[in-house]
Amino acid sequence: MAPGGPWSAPALTPSRPIYDGKLGELYAIYLRHLVLMLLTLGWSRFWGRTRIRRYVWNHVSVLGDRFEYRGRGRELLIGFLFALLLIAAWAGLMYLVWLYVFHEKPFATFGLFDIFSLSVALIGFPLAYVGHYAGLRYKLSRTRWRGIRCGMAGSAWHYGVIATFLGFANAVTGYLLTPVVSVNLARPRIGNARVGTLPFAFAGSASDIYGRFLGYYFLNIIAWVAAAVAVAMAVGGTLEGMGVSFSEVLENLAKPTARTILLILIVAFAAYILFGLLILPLRCWWQAYLVRYLVSRSRAGNVLFATAITTRQMWGFLVLNYLIVLMTLGIGWPWVMHRTMKLIAGQLWIYGAPDGAAVRQPADRGPGYGEGLLDMFDVSGV
Amino acid sequence: MVARYYNGESAAVEEVALRVTTHELVIYRPADSAIVARWPVADITVLGDSRHEAAPPVVLRGGEARLVIEDPAARAQLASLVPALAPLSLPPEPVAPRLAGFSVALVALVGMFWGAVEYGTEHAAPLIPYSLQAKLGESVLDELLADKEMCEGKAGLAAINRLANDLAKEAGYKHEITVHIVEGGPVNAFTLPGSILVFYSDLIDQAKDSSQVAGVLAHEIGHVVHQHPTKGLVKAYGMDLLLKILSGGYSDILNTLGSGGGVLLALRNGRAFEREADETGVRLLEQRGLRADGVSSFFEQMLAKEPKDAAAAAGIWSSHPPTAERIAATKRSTAGRPAFSAAEWQALRTVCK
Repeated sequence: MAPGGPWSAPALTPSRPIYDGKLGELYAIYLRHLVLMLLTLGWSRFWGRTRIRRYVWNHVSVLGDRFEYRGRGRELLIGFLFALLLIAAWAGLMYLVWLYVFHEKPFATFGLFDIFSLSVALIGFPLAYVGHYAGLRYKLSRTRWRGIRCGMAGSAWHYGVIATFLGFANAVTGYLLTPVVSVNLARPRIGNARVGTLPFAFAGSASDIYGRFLGYYFLNIIAWVAAAVAVAMAVGGTLEGMGVSFSEVLENLAKPTARTILLILIVAFAAYILFGLLILPLRCWWQAYLVRYLVSRSRAGNVLFATAITTRQMWGFLVLNYLIVLMTLGIGWPWVMHRTMKLIAGQLWIYGAPDGAAVRQPADRGPGYGEGLLDMFDVSGV
Repeated sequence: MVARYYNGESAAVEEVALRVTTHELVIYRPADSAIVARWPVADITVLGDSRHEAAPPVVLRGGEARLVIEDPAARAQLASLVPALAPLSLPPEPVAPRLAGFSVALVALVGMFWGAVEYGTEHAAPLIPYSLQAKLGESVLDELLADKEMCEGKAGLAAINRLANDLAKEAGYKHEITVHIVEGGPVNAFTLPGSILVFYSDLIDQAKDSSQVAGVLAHEIGHVVHQHPTKGLVKAYGMDLLLKILSGGYSDILNTLGSGGGVLLALRNGRAFEREADETGVRLLEQRGLRADGVSSFFEQMLAKEPKDAAAAAGIWSSHPPTAERIAATKRSTAGRPAFSAAEWQALRTVCK
């Protein structure tokens, strides 16, 4: 626009994504996947995951256009086999270390298993982060919107190093660095994502959210103490009231009658309710705030994002979904997926629309295979 | 017929209309009838299918451009005109029968898988190459005994290995048994895959006579000849796999709970294995004309020492059946020859010295 020209407000028409998947259809795909998993001892998971993604992606639309998922099961299988090779090579290396460094030396008590499991735990932690990033890159590269491939720049290994360092630093500082970790891990994940040639941008800063976090942090400590005192008093009081000694309790636990099992379930449920009432809402309060912040600080060109997700909705997402999967022994997973997609569709606001003609198809086709590390080191869903 | 057209070069979207000729799919703007693209019918195809995707895109083979038709009736019409586009409008599969069918199949498969692991292990365990079992046993042994002192008394080790192999032969077992003795406690012995037995010297020290050590040894030989360590591993692995598959790896807590169930199951297997090993041990001693009262008298001695039987108190959490039950099952008279000669027994008593 020429200097001094007429000012016009940017087009910021709000819209929301639409999810029109049906729970029954998703279940039919998922149950078929489980049946095939049992028949193939788990090897069909790459194709099953792909089918589920195709369903879910294509039932989400933004600005009237549906997403497409064009990944292949074969690519996930190759990714897994590569990760397997990586682990085999690592095991070989550890064998050599054991043979030449530890075997029949003063550290003979350090067995081969010790070295291998310790080293896998050591590399597994960073590799899970690398896998997260590389998995995201794979998923985005197989996702299209308006026929344009999405993608992810940046190095997964670089992300793995940063995430490991921040994770370690956060753990040794009593998790007081959580806002720093959240913002600095969100930055590469959001800032490196793109739709075609349209990059996303993230402009968050940990200092913006420290106040709320500290409030959560100390309230959380107080809540834990209160919950522990309440549980101790309730259990002690109940046992005393019933005139039961501790050894009698142990005896009962060894040979549980239907009544004991019922009692255990009631106690567990009561403890969960107490925990749920005191601790989890606090966590959800913080998480909802964090999500609102991360979303509002993200944009894609002139497209802005916002969400007004509430603590209660976050509770439904974090806690209720967890309970559904747990109580249904995993069979409730499609329900959780469905609920999550509905939540995103209902709560994510998109302001404006990209200039379609300016967003070009990227030359980069993304990785040829994917998610091996994620499959190996992480509980990875769809 | 109205569709959305993506040119594959940019994220621009156009509302277009379609016309099918004998050779071409003509894509044009409805407002001014300007042609947007002409796709040869022979080269067009559908990505995906209407069972997994709400509106599977139509593409020109090898191209990035896409045509998306939201209206199912319009998709069906196009598919009827161009047979290659049939996946565009597959007849919808009714959800309820599919759900019912897959649920029944799932329950049946879980049952079969469970049954195969529970009962098939008997047949599967012997199929595992013995060399592999031996290697596994040796590596576990190395691991377990890495920081332990081993008893090296040659005559004592020869005595216990002699009896172990005699008893195994009596059961028709083909492989060589190796018994190791670890200095110290607990008062225990165990068996590893690959015919490896480990005794703790405290057990030998606390035994009142040689028949008790022979009884415990015969019990462990029972484990060896029934391949209990390998069967236990196969079962545990099978159940772990089942739980992993069922939970789809989507819930780590589920896996944790699952492994808890797996442990309980392993313990139940443990109790069944112990009963079988008790019975076999006593039978092998009797078949060789040796004193077979050792194991029950050893249990009695343990019970007297610890009247609150740990195995009974632990109930379903115990790896062993209640001791009183085992005493009743293995009770025998003192008839029979001693399993060890006086010299052997003496050597065994001093195996760690």
